[in-house]
Amino acid sequence: MNVEPVIKLEDVWKIYSLGKTEVSALRGLSLIIERGVFLVIMGSSGSGKSTLLNMVGCLDFPTRGKVFLQEKNILTLSESQLSQFRGKMIGFIFQEFNLLNHLNSLENVMLPMVFQKVPLEKRLEKAKELLARVGLENRIYHQPTELSGGERQRVAIARAFANDPEVVIADEPTGNLDSVNGRKIMEILSDFHKNQKKTVIVVTHDPEVAKFADKIVKIRDGQIVNS
Amino acid sequence: MDNFKEYFNLSIKNILNRRLRSWLTVLGIVVGVFLIISLLSLSEGLKSTINRQLQALGGEMVMVMPGGDEDIFASMMFGGAKLQQEDIEAIKKVKTVESVLGFSYTGTPARYRDESKQVAIAGYDPWKEGIDILSRFQGWSLTEGRWPSKGNEVLVGSYIANETFSKKISSGSEITIKGKKFEVMGILNSLGNKQDDSMVYMDMKIYQDLTGEKRGTASYAMVKLNEGVDDKKAADEIEEALRQTRKRRSGTDEEDFSVITSEKMGDIAGNILNIIQAVIIGFASIAIFVGGIGITNSMFTSVRERTREIGVMKAIGAKNSAILSIFLIESGIIGVLGGVGGVALGSILAKAIGYWGANNTSFHLETTITFGMIIFALCFSFLVGCLAGVFPARAAAKLKPVEALRRYE
Repeated sequence: MNVEPVIKLEDVWKIYSLGKTEVSALRGLSLIIERGVFLVIMGSSGSGKSTLLNMVGCLDFPTRGKVFLQEKNILTLSESQLSQFRGKMIGFIFQEFNLLNHLNSLENVMLPMVFQKVPLEKRLEKAKELLARVGLENRIYHQPTELSGGERQRVAIARAFANDPEVVIADEPTGNLDSVNGRKIMEILSDFHKNQKKTVIVVTHDPEVAKFADKIVKIRDGQIVNS
Repeated sequence: MDNFKEYFNLSIKNILNRRLRSWLTVLGIVVGVFLIISLLSLSEGLKSTINRQLQALGGEMVMVMPGGDEDIFASMMFGGAKLQQEDIEAIKKVKTVESVLGFSYTGTPARYRDESKQVAIAGYDPWKEGIDILSRFQGWSLTEGRWPSKGNEVLVGSYIANETFSKKISSGSEITIKGKKFEVMGILNSLGNKQDDSMVYMDMKIYQDLTGEKRGTASYAMVKLNEGVDDKKAADEIEEALRQTRKRRSGTDEEDFSVITSEKMGDIAGNILNIIQAVIIGFASIAIFVGGIGITNSMFTSVRERTREIGVMKAIGAKNSAILSIFLIESGIIGVLGGVGGVALGSILAKAIGYWGANNTSFHLETTITFGMIIFALCFSFLVGCLAGVFPARAAAKLKPVEALRRYE
């Protein structure tokens, strides 16, 4: 198996200052995420898993240490370059879905492609195809408020895959869903992982979700416990 | 700003998403632009009315007024200094002058039937020949009666005839001024301003008898030049003649008079109108500025409300410049919408006033809307919109995606 890393964290520290006290959310954490893996990151709240997700998702810079995305040190990029690169390389799925409420499903799925300057026709074609794959071909002109939670999360999945990213990161994707819908979401994700050969990283504390993983990383007190 | 079209669409959706607040914000700009357009169109209309009247006056007339250039308006408003008889004689002697019409006016009560009202009486000299100049250059004509020929006959302006007294005055009626009875010989047409229409015109001699003013003096004089004479040169000659009379009279060469050609009159009126327009633009700009603060306020609120959304857009690949563009376009659109609304409302009001003015004899008003005014108003409101959006848009663009996503969780 090819073990080319898609994301690599080297001795990453993240320290937040809360008034006069400093809180280290990550303490010298190193992690190599190989291309094509289905990785689950588990940890209780306050364990630093959200901070780790921000690092892995290149949403934030570490206080110390290095983060590589596609072998590029993100510290060498400007904020705007990073946004552009992130938009192309990483898709996000959030616990609260985070769709734009005044855009319909189709427009929501097209939005990441807008920021990558994909021409309109291509955007439309791709967005429709993705919405069909998550089973929402009849819902493309609906606003998020007209959709159920499960449907919204499926739109979010379609959006995450819009730019054909290398990595899709899901933060508690089933956290706001009942078990039936949650299971369905995980199946769709797993299906994308298998067919598209993408790297999928899921942060969760739900053992049901962990069952889909190739690899599980547990985190406690800002450090990896075992992997 | 590549991708402009996409960001424009997103901005429109954002505006529609908070419709009521957007419209209220737009309204703030509408008021300012409405003010600019309606008031400017009025003052433009005033300008063209004045220019037209001055053109009718032509180059053959000059006005001579007592008092220096600086206090022309003071002497026009409050009377005060007078031209002396020898001044008028001196003007008459200038080669280029055909005739001189002395003019004086003052306020006094007049009685018609059993009603007594304050009116203005004006005397001019020469009484009969003056009519020729007045009808040619001031647009005098009669709606009723005939031109007077005797001393105790008077002409009345249209406002006096129709509005001042509860009963209309017709030719042949009698009015009493300072205990003397006068026969109304003719009713004048409307001369385009209320002041001129509210006068009783009479022979200067009778006027001076009534008022006790010294014979031969005048509040101002209208001078008719010979045909084909250069009015500026003639004005210089008249000035020189008046200077001589003053030297003889008082031994000083104090210039307490002004000779005004139609061009100069246009300049004076133009200067005043320019000041008025500057004041209008100043006040309306304050109104638009306040509207701009409204936009800033609304945009800041919007940034706060949409913090999470901004975080999401950044996470899925929006650069700072994209967020900045979206918010700037949004506030620019609000500004332009306000401009369009203001131009529309202002134009409607201006048209209505113009229509009303055209059908109203006693209050002559005209409005002119120029293309330049509209362009100015639209550009200005767009600019204000964009400027108003700069700070909120920068605040939005600078949000860190992690913090924006974490907020309100």
